[in-house]
Amino acid sequence: MTTHALSVQFRRKFYGSRLAQIALLYFVWLASSSLARAVGLPIPGGIVGMAVLYALLASKAVSLRSLRRGVQWYLGEMLLFFVPAVLSFTAHPEFFGLLGLKILAVILAGTVSVMCVTALTVDLFYRWRTRHELTESVLE
Amino acid sequence: MNLLNQFWNSTPAQACAWSLATIGLYLVVKRIYRRWRRWWQTPLALTPALLSVLIFGLHIPYREYYHATSWLVVLIGPATVAFAAPIYENRALIRRHWPILCVGMIAGSGVAILTSWAFATLLGIDGVLRLSLLPRSISMPFAMDVSRDIGGVADVTSVFVAATGVLGPVLGEFMAARLPLRSAMSRGAMLGVAAHAAGTAKAHELGSEEGSIAGLLMILVGMLNVFGAAIFTWLR
Repeated sequence: MTTHALSVQFRRKFYGSRLAQIALLYFVWLASSSLARAVGLPIPGGIVGMAVLYALLASKAVSLRSLRRGVQWYLGEMLLFFVPAVLSFTAHPEFFGLLGLKILAVILAGTVSVMCVTALTVDLFYRWRTRHELTESVLE
Repeated sequence: MNLLNQFWNSTPAQACAWSLATIGLYLVVKRIYRRWRRWWQTPLALTPALLSVLIFGLHIPYREYYHATSWLVVLIGPATVAFAAPIYENRALIRRHWPILCVGMIAGSGVAILTSWAFATLLGIDGVLRLSLLPRSISMPFAMDVSRDIGGVADVTSVFVAATGVLGPVLGEFMAARLPLRSAMSRGAMLGVAAHAAGTAKAHELGSEEGSIAGLLMILVGMLNVFGAAIFTWLR
């Protein structure tokens, strides 16, 4: 068997293996975050790893297809990884009462404000831009 | 019996038991949510709620539970790395619409931080709790990093992020039907910026353009906030 045939076989196996892709993404994160820590970057390792993976994808060193299963697993099951952190509310008995209601009110009012401002700003800007582009194309 | 007790209280046994309970309940809740799709059944809310019953019932301190399941939290790191894939996939969308995306990101982020601060102050919430509220509208991994940077408590922020994730899609659906919006982009931006992954899921229900804009903006807004917080700590 030639090395080429071996590499094709390896690639085919890697495309099919979710576990191998999960492990590779984990390794990218591990390497990036230890690098970030060693250099003393103020940016979290996850974001450094994201930049590294983007560079790998953009330079065509890694194809999107070869990581699809791993990416889908991480993004699809992400909620599970947050469950232990969210349970920290059990360590805060003060949240079960007036304070909790106040916090809920802040979140509710804040979310409504963010939604109104974001949606209306983007909509106005989008309409202005399409009208602009339209007049430009008419003038040409 | 004594030996059994000793085994049960050992660290590996605890780690196994709590990890299995967490994963098992998560899978069950996910299935429930997929079947009935009620807003309160989202896995990020119902799983912790059910687990908290177990934790309170067995009188387990949170530290002990967290210690047993902290390996799950580690996976947030590589999951953040995986965000590079949707960004790369949508690079044509970014190139075409970057001015609008920037406007939406800056407006939404600014309002999120300002209103969290203002409403908290108004209701007499201050100190670490108020700081922990500031990044509540961005995606969980970014929010926890930002919270740590600005002097909040990452775990507490995660509770607020989850609460935003439960309320966001409900509010988003309500607002999308009432605000005078003419573009799919504005509905997507609204849900992605205000309610992170939960909003993005709702945006996908509204339409595919809404969904991809929401998913993209959710990540970009998170990154913007992380860089903002890094600059903030550097200046301080």
